[in-house]
Amino acid sequence: MLFFSFSAFAQQMDINGVVTSKSDGLPLPGVSIIVKGTTRGTTSDFDGKYSISVSSGDQLEYSYLGFKTMVITVENQTTIDVSLEDDVESLNEVVVVGYGTQKKADLTGAISTVKSEDIARTPNSNVAQSLQGKVAGVQITSNGSPGDSPTVRIRGVGSYAAGNNPLYVVDGMFYDNIDFLDSSQIESFSVLKDASSVSIFGQKGVNGVIIIETKRGRKEQKPVFTYNGYTGFQTAQNVVKMANAEQFVTMAYESGSDADIQFVENAIQRYGRSRVNPNIPNVNTDWYDEILRLAPVSSHSIGVTGGSENANYSFNSSYFSQEGILDMKNEYERFNIQSSVDIKVSDRLKVGANMVFSNATKYNPENSAWFQAYFAVPILPVYDELNTEATPIPFSDARVLGYRGSQNPFPVMTFNNNRLKIKKILASAYMEYQLIPDKLKFRTSYSHDFSTISERNVRLPYFVSQNSQREVSSIRRANQEYSNQIWDNTLTYTESFGKHNLTLLAGSSFRDEQRNVFQATGDNIRGVQLESSWYLNFADPTSFGNDRVSEIGDRFYSLSYFGRLEYSYDDKYLLNATVRTEGDSKFPREIWVTTPAFGLGWVVSEESFMEDNGIFDFLKLRGSWGQLANGALGDSSGTRTISNITTAIDDIPTDGFISSSNYQDLEREILEETNLGLSARLFDSKLSLEADYYIRDTKKLVIPVDQPIVSNTILENVGEMRTQGIEIAANWSQMLNDNWSFSVAGNIATLNNEVTKVNSAAGYFDTGQAEFRQRSMVGEPIEAFFGWEVVGVYQNDEEIQNDPIAVANDLVPGDFKYRDRNGDGEINADDRTVIGSYLPSFVYGGNLQVSYKQFDLSVAIAGQTGNDILNRRRGEVLFTNDTNMDADFAINRWHGEGTSNSYPSSEGRRKAWNQRMSTFFVEDGSFFRIQNIQLAYTIPQSTIKGIKMPEVRLTFTADRPLTLFNYNGFTPEVANGIDRQPYPIPAVYTFGVNIKL
Amino acid sequence: MKKIKQLKWLTFLLVTCTVFYSCSDKLEENDGQVAADDLDFTQTGDMVLPLIGAYSEVYSRGWEDPILVGVRGDDVNAGGVGDAQGGLTNADLYNYDNNYWMFNQVWSNFYGDLVDIVNSGETIQRYKEFATGSDIALADQYIAETKVLSGFQHLQMSRLWSDIFIITTSNVSEDIDNGVDTKEEVMQYVSDLMDEAIPFLPDLRPNERTDVRGGVTKYTALAIKAMANLELENYQGVADATAEIIGSDKFMLYDDYYELFKEDGQLSNENLFELQFSDYGQATGDVNNHLFAPFGPPSWTPVVSTASSGWGFYEPSLKYIKFMIDRGDETRLVTSVCFTPRGMDELMSDPNYATLPSYVSNTTLDGDIFNDTTRFMFASGKHYWPSNQLTPGRNSYGSGKNFLVIRYAEILLMYAEALTHGASGSVLTADQAVNLVRERANMSPISGVTTDDVMDEKFAELGMEWGIRYFDMIRLNQYDELSYDGRTFTADAEYLPYPQDQLDLLPLENN
Repeated sequence: MLFFSFSAFAQQMDINGVVTSKSDGLPLPGVSIIVKGTTRGTTSDFDGKYSISVSSGDQLEYSYLGFKTMVITVENQTTIDVSLEDDVESLNEVVVVGYGTQKKADLTGAISTVKSEDIARTPNSNVAQSLQGKVAGVQITSNGSPGDSPTVRIRGVGSYAAGNNPLYVVDGMFYDNIDFLDSSQIESFSVLKDASSVSIFGQKGVNGVIIIETKRGRKEQKPVFTYNGYTGFQTAQNVVKMANAEQFVTMAYESGSDADIQFVENAIQRYGRSRVNPNIPNVNTDWYDEILRLAPVSSHSIGVTGGSENANYSFNSSYFSQEGILDMKNEYERFNIQSSVDIKVSDRLKVGANMVFSNATKYNPENSAWFQAYFAVPILPVYDELNTEATPIPFSDARVLGYRGSQNPFPVMTFNNNRLKIKKILASAYMEYQLIPDKLKFRTSYSHDFSTISERNVRLPYFVSQNSQREVSSIRRANQEYSNQIWDNTLTYTESFGKHNLTLLAGSSFRDEQRNVFQATGDNIRGVQLESSWYLNFADPTSFGNDRVSEIGDRFYSLSYFGRLEYSYDDKYLLNATVRTEGDSKFPREIWVTTPAFGLGWVVSEESFMEDNGIFDFLKLRGSWGQLANGALGDSSGTRTISNITTAIDDIPTDGFISSSNYQDLEREILEETNLGLSARLFDSKLSLEADYYIRDTKKLVIPVDQPIVSNTILENVGEMRTQGIEIAANWSQMLNDNWSFSVAGNIATLNNEVTKVNSAAGYFDTGQAEFRQRSMVGEPIEAFFGWEVVGVYQNDEEIQNDPIAVANDLVPGDFKYRDRNGDGEINADDRTVIGSYLPSFVYGGNLQVSYKQFDLSVAIAGQTGNDILNRRRGEVLFTNDTNMDADFAINRWHGEGTSNSYPSSEGRRKAWNQRMSTFFVEDGSFFRIQNIQLAYTIPQSTIKGIKMPEVRLTFTADRPLTLFNYNGFTPEVANGIDRQPYPIPAVYTFGVNIKL
Repeated sequence: MKKIKQLKWLTFLLVTCTVFYSCSDKLEENDGQVAADDLDFTQTGDMVLPLIGAYSEVYSRGWEDPILVGVRGDDVNAGGVGDAQGGLTNADLYNYDNNYWMFNQVWSNFYGDLVDIVNSGETIQRYKEFATGSDIALADQYIAETKVLSGFQHLQMSRLWSDIFIITTSNVSEDIDNGVDTKEEVMQYVSDLMDEAIPFLPDLRPNERTDVRGGVTKYTALAIKAMANLELENYQGVADATAEIIGSDKFMLYDDYYELFKEDGQLSNENLFELQFSDYGQATGDVNNHLFAPFGPPSWTPVVSTASSGWGFYEPSLKYIKFMIDRGDETRLVTSVCFTPRGMDELMSDPNYATLPSYVSNTTLDGDIFNDTTRFMFASGKHYWPSNQLTPGRNSYGSGKNFLVIRYAEILLMYAEALTHGASGSVLTADQAVNLVRERANMSPISGVTTDDVMDEKFAELGMEWGIRYFDMIRLNQYDELSYDGRTFTADAEYLPYPQDQLDLLPLENN
């Protein structure tokens, strides 16, 4: 009453105005306008207009996420138009952290954020792909197969055994894969890199955490309707050039193998002579060309977000479809719905729920086709009209020429059909209650991820030859069901007194992960020529016996208690401390584990001596240390288990079981990480800089260890590993004048991984296949390639005669010369050494954005150096050597004195001496790529004849148009460094339209 | 009012805590697996299950196993010319590269099975602790059977690598810590293990068993004991063990030598041990087959035209064929060797064989025609399965074929050899034993047999089977026999080097 009577005397006036964005002049809806020091306020409407009643001398504060807050003192104006300045790294920017948010300025750990509009530029089904090159220390290895996920590594390998993927926390739910999300549904991305930031998530966060919040509406926001869509095509890049018929025949003649020469003769007899060169058959098949195709991709999404005073909402649905570049039934299609609602029930109680439903159909490629196409000889046609017995399609078969394998990849591509129906629902709901308003808050949230993957593999009958045939069709059905739940409860207490700011968080989390796989296989489907009959019901009922129906499942539970203290003094001195205690049913021997973490920060720019320094607008030094226990280690049964078998006794299928003789009995890995960093903004905030140095030790390191005597591997705690690196990310943005503005961003990261301790008598651990050895030993990178060093190729007989090693091993010119490392005059196992590592030592990315009036252009690059790739395809000659080779080999092979000092001869290629794991098969995997180029034109919102026209943005995008590398393969992006048959990464060209109303 | 509201929230918190407390019980659960310790060992009727598991391990041999075991003899050459198996070809030429993948594969195949077999024996032992009445004896029998299977695997391993680790417990690290045992120790261990097993084993022919038909019996154990003693050159031990088999009068040579290796000969009265396989006579459903393709011809014209061909990795030698032609050993030659036209031309290019006997043909007795291929000149007939014996709808080479391992003919010949080395045996004379074998092959009887005669007979009778010829020759130091077709055999080539992968993993060293 007093207030009102007082204000009645003050000079009241109404102020009107429009709030716009300084960078593009567009109106800003939803800007909060508050009379400073009061609770009175309003928000701008959809056209950026506002109106508020004030007294002269009041100060109006305009604030909006992503813009600098502005304060204007009211004098006598009645109109105040405000244009807010972009603030990419705003001081008040809030970052999503574990179980809460924190002001970016208060962070002490290494956390990067990515804006949703940066994600939308990448035309890919998987949102994670769009992070490539954007965050320092995050290495993304693309996957070209439609619907498949890229490999994401944050700061290299934190844990070998926990797989490569970080933990994705989507609206509170834990995921190891986010293939069900559409980029249009994502509000924000926070990448938590260091242990102190990740620690509160406990065991699963060992490879880093990416927190994703899906879209939500804003309070007092008029509904905004959007349409985003693009369509385009994908085309294979850097296709490996294979030896053509002429090169292949030349190599066959040089092979010293009569058989191979005979095969060429057989081909000439069957298919005739080439008119160009009568010594070669009249066939020259480029197998890669045959199996590749241009493949379309398109995406459409529509959505609306908005809010009133007490509720806000967001609805969105999207459709994505992509065909694979492998010329078979290979495609991916996904339909998504996302919705979220938040309701303020009372001053104290807030509830909300959101839901993402994704419904995808994926037809998996037959990846063996890539492998077969590499080996298939060019003197074999795809179709062979002479093969009259073949049905239903006269495919060729290399066996008719004498080769061991049938080689032609088309039968599997044509007669195999692999469909997956993938449905995922993420439903979550929360309730937040202010026990003490603005001080003590209780929040409970429940998330449930329910996913089913229904797999159907159909094998159709065909006949190509005696050894390439399928007389009886078959169908395999596998239903995988995942039901994962998380229930979190937290109490958050916030207090400020004097210059002290304090936030205390205490909470608990219960997690239940359940998996069930049911599968059955039947043969001889009636009416198999029609897809409508592809059900188990139509298979021969007698074909289900003998182990062809199975079910497996498991269920793990975890219960955690955690707490966090955030404290700051005068916005200068920062302290964060976290502790988490977690119990997990996966570790029966040691259920509970507790890990601490803390961080300190000093905002130097707040100190008086930094005032008006003219350079730094903001400078913070930060350091953190944290411990993590890694529990994402797969099953650790800790005991022998049994498995059922069936064997033939007297022609009767007879059941029995085998008890495993070894089993996993693991302790959790312990990660300790120290992170030192600085965050700064310079030159009127035009330049922002984040730099970090980290050292991470993985203790009780778990890797799959080859078991002596028997041929299997089990996970064991074997030693320690250290990863360290420097990450620097810088961004310069500037508006040159009203028409021109630009920003340049770049990031680099170094990575140095070495094994620091090995608990084995031998002093090392072996992994990988015996013929392609990988070894982990102290002082070397984990799983380093291990073999012999090629120092040259014997050129002539004289050289052979002068080298006792060559004589002892019956070598001939054209064979490899290996380094005799211990100088004992013999080449043996002791001469092996580390010959490469699949981990890059340097990963970088960059982004340039230029805008001129309505045009804007962005160019992103990415690359890495220092990683090696095992060209396993070349190495496979060890198992089958009558096959084709890549053109690089054909051209560079040794074929006479002086022709090569690094490639063996065609004959030598087939000798065990030259096939051993050596530097010849390990190649440099460095690459530079133009990641993405996007040119856009925006038609701003306007009103024509009283009708409001939407904002329209047209885009042309070239994704991954150019990759430069020296490696002899399709792509240098090979996650584990072993290149056998990866799906090539296509370039994607699209045209897109975005409409906003 | 406000207090009640607060109370409501406190109650909620309390309920939350209680629910959490009850959740913590879940941490002790381990869903979705059956621990070996959790089996109900009182269900003694189940104790046959681990035994079947042990059989399944022995039966499910890698394709490489019989190939590598057999390839070095002068009866067999490595086929697959122009293919990648240079390491196999080199092994055939006695040049061993211990990086060659097949060595490690065969090592791990045998050892992997061994550990599982021993483990099965231990599991049966736990059932035995709860067994009553006749189940106790049955448990003892099953345990004894696992010992026989273990003995067979040890024997094969030691023949290849000489000194190996003896596996006595499924906790292999103990055995590894004990280091390798010499071949002599391994063979003695096998012989003693058979002695341990024999009292508990059924006194039956394998095909007389009704519980596990075709499983091992007392006589299988005696046969393995004889083989181990043969390696030890303890000929009296060989004679005693074989005499017991012969004296049982349970076994007889199968009439038709050709059919012995085909469908009719499966589980015959001649067989002491065979690996059983089946496609169960049906076109659909899972099969339990051995991969016979490596033995098969890369190119043929089978009677059943859709029947798959093979890889051509295993080729009877010219030496063997000429030896058989010289003897006029028609029955065993046409059974043991399938000819291709190119192979026949190669034989005829030798003036001594310019005219081949009429029975040498590239059409088998079942009518399948073997065509020319660069891979090999001849296929192993004992590993050949006529296309007309395939189950309709099953086209893979040798689908459903059993793999014969120990047969009565070998017992007779081991017995005969032991006698020629001076051992005594009263069931038969050496002449009688050899002539029984010859008679079945339509060969005229001989008398006054010497060790060489027995070796010739073993060559003719057991060629291509399980490296028997090779192991005989290195035992008798007949390196000249192994030095054939340009090869030179020296003593240091008798055993394979340890695979590099195992050297890297184990306290092992190659000499």
